[in-house]
Amino acid sequence: MADIRTVIYKYGLLALFALIIVFFFTALPAFGTLQNLYVILQSVAVTAIVALGVTVSMTVGGFDLAVGSTVSLSVMVVAAAQIYHGLGIVWAVVLGLAAGLLVGFTSGALIVYARIPDMLATLGSMFVYSGLSLILTAGKSVSTGNGYNGQAAKGNWDPKLLWIGTGTVFSIPFSIILAVVATIVVVLFLGRTRTGRILEAVGNNPRAARLAGVRTGRYRILAYMISGLLSALGGIVLVARVGRGDINVGSSYLLEAVAATLIGYAVLGANRPNPLGTAVGALFVGVVVNGLTMFNVPYFTQDFIKGALLVVALIVSFSKIFNTRQQED
Amino acid sequence: MSDALHGGTGVGSVRKVETPAPDGTPGTGHEVLRVEGIVKHFGATKALRGVDFTLNSGEILALVGANGAGKSTLTSILSGIVEASEGRLVVEGREVRLTSILDASQAGIETIVQSFDEALFPGQTVGDNLAFPMLVQHKLGAFPGPQAIRRAAAEVAKGVIDIPLNTAMRELDASERQRVLIARALFTRPKILILDEPTASLDIGESRRLHERIRALADSGTAIIYISHHMKEVADICDRAVVLRDGAKVGEYRAPLDIAQIIRAMLGKSVEVTQDGTHGPAAQDGGRAQGQPEADGDIVLKLRDFRIFTDGESVNLDLREGETLGITGLIGAGKTELLSQIVGASPLIGGTITWRNESFNPRDTGEAIAAGIGYVPENRQSDAEIPLWSVEDNLVFPDLKRYRSRSGFINPSAIRRSSEAIIARMGIVGSSDARIESLSGGNRQKVMIGRWFAAGSKLLVMDEPFRGVDIGARSDIATQLRAAGTAIVASSDPDEILQVADRIIVLSHGAIVAETSAVGMTSGELSELIATGA
Repeated sequence: MADIRTVIYKYGLLALFALIIVFFFTALPAFGTLQNLYVILQSVAVTAIVALGVTVSMTVGGFDLAVGSTVSLSVMVVAAAQIYHGLGIVWAVVLGLAAGLLVGFTSGALIVYARIPDMLATLGSMFVYSGLSLILTAGKSVSTGNGYNGQAAKGNWDPKLLWIGTGTVFSIPFSIILAVVATIVVVLFLGRTRTGRILEAVGNNPRAARLAGVRTGRYRILAYMISGLLSALGGIVLVARVGRGDINVGSSYLLEAVAATLIGYAVLGANRPNPLGTAVGALFVGVVVNGLTMFNVPYFTQDFIKGALLVVALIVSFSKIFNTRQQED
Repeated sequence: MSDALHGGTGVGSVRKVETPAPDGTPGTGHEVLRVEGIVKHFGATKALRGVDFTLNSGEILALVGANGAGKSTLTSILSGIVEASEGRLVVEGREVRLTSILDASQAGIETIVQSFDEALFPGQTVGDNLAFPMLVQHKLGAFPGPQAIRRAAAEVAKGVIDIPLNTAMRELDASERQRVLIARALFTRPKILILDEPTASLDIGESRRLHERIRALADSGTAIIYISHHMKEVADICDRAVVLRDGAKVGEYRAPLDIAQIIRAMLGKSVEVTQDGTHGPAAQDGGRAQGQPEADGDIVLKLRDFRIFTDGESVNLDLREGETLGITGLIGAGKTELLSQIVGASPLIGGTITWRNESFNPRDTGEAIAAGIGYVPENRQSDAEIPLWSVEDNLVFPDLKRYRSRSGFINPSAIRRSSEAIIARMGIVGSSDARIESLSGGNRQKVMIGRWFAAGSKLLVMDEPFRGVDIGARSDIATQLRAAGTAIVASSDPDEILQVADRIIVLSHGAIVAETSAVGMTSGELSELIATGA
């Protein structure tokens, strides 16, 4: 029956999410505590922020593969600025975010001016900038007291920076607040600003957007710069939480963020990049991993489970079984 | 080079001795193909609604019709790309079911598609391209070595083309590439060869040579289906013409073919009206007072030494305030090329444009829009609509900044107000928040036109705005255009032009061949003008 299929298409993923939560709730006494809720939310905060970047890049019809490298680069830039060069928190954060804008601009320029397909251009950026983040610290991780090039460390972590990753506001972890604010900002930006609407139009039909007077190239570059900025923000939250600059720490965030964005396609039958769905997607993955960990399911099964979740969400979004609106090609 | 399409030497299988079928017309060969009641649905739309025709060996049959008439769907069915929803295909007395290109090929039908480069591999050699079908059909074994491929290619090429087999495909010009494809198609000795717009990318000399080859091929017994928008070509080389309109056969004519008659059948609707000499539909529409052209405003748009095509003649054109100028001509006459330069969608080739007393050379459509010129492109779905968006979002899109509040956010209630006003004014059936795809073609086109009213454009430039638009919506749009003032409307349909235009220019090969007032002109007269211009 087409009706049931449409209901699954629209609400299936949310219903599955609710079902899983109810199951964990009843089966695991520790799951339902406020403490655990914060654990889950903190664990997905970085993923969600980076995934919002991926969502913006996909909104213009692109695909930013460089977000993981951007996280790594901003982690290393912030760490090196504080520890190696003794710069203050403002400089560290500004440089970290600037690194993200630089990666995004590079990807966008390669796509628009060199006409390289999105995936290939961002693959190039990914490689180059993850390499650059290694060069920055001569291939070493950065931690308190470690020097650079035979010199002693010039600085130390500013406690205010670490607070971004570990502090609380009214006992709510700040990183969670940051992720929620970022989600709201991206939702409003894409839905309610002229620039955001144009980004979406460029993704839906670039030819029509161009003929309606949009300089589409600029908007595509902008989308990648926003993606870079959000990824860099994710990196800052990450480095502030762990208090170390680990090599290539961002690489795992690429797959996680892409998965969250694509799972978001299945939320309310959007079937396109949407920031609210992305946030739900990130949360979904976080809840499942958290619950399974409590069940003592071994950590090495996590990727398999996340992957399966993604595949299910993609089937709901794309297969003709549920998406009855889809036209025959 | 006198390359007859068939090499005389015994290549491939021996051709069967042809015995005329009992119902075959004497002198024109026997019936090789019978198409019976072919219907094709695509979702809710009916692309073909019961088409019948027959094809005899040795005959060149033209398949003509306007865009959207169903020619390409019919071609796709005959070449096995799509399956018909209903109806039968009978090849040499046997009913066939074609579910793939291979099926069609085995039934003896080969197709040379219009965009023939899609069927070729530019990075490979001529030989690789020629041998490819044999490779696919396992005729060269599982591990075809270079020699096997070269031998196979040589066999295909023998006596048909003399291009060295190790030439890279991308080094050939268009006519050579097409010849490679034709050679490949002919190797299977097809009973039926379908050529879809084969001269579209050829120059006049190449076209003539191709026509000679097609004639020779028909004389050797192959049945040819020839699809073209060029009526003169059709009249020159075809023995018979089947005319399609809106998915149905509306006429069938034998040589000598009358171009004007075919065009009237192709465009339809007005044939009965014009034959007894009454006024065209503009008179019945009741919108414009007859004998009162609204052409007394100031000249707002001036084209001088303007070039529609790079190697074309120069064109001079004036447009007055409040006037609707109709531009017509056959497909390929240069209508789209003219309009897209005015609106900045393609760069100015030559000459000058003056818009409201200022020199105007828009770098992109954004500059034209800023100058008050709105553009409704030819292909609504691919070039104008923002899919997945609502009616109101589509309506306000080109002028979004108008809806920004002081906070920087766009104001949904302002958008809604503006959208409701346009919906009422244009008579759009559909609500502001409905998805654009949920509306009918006519209403969607009203949205695409309405967005320029919403943006306050001073000049509307529209390319085939009535394609896929029903008569009711067409009349609503015509009324709005007349009220709105200055517009340029391009269409190859004389009725559409007569319904909206005050003044008409007829284009052919990038030059103005006629200019006339729309008043008192009949659709038949305009068809003649278009046809003679070709």
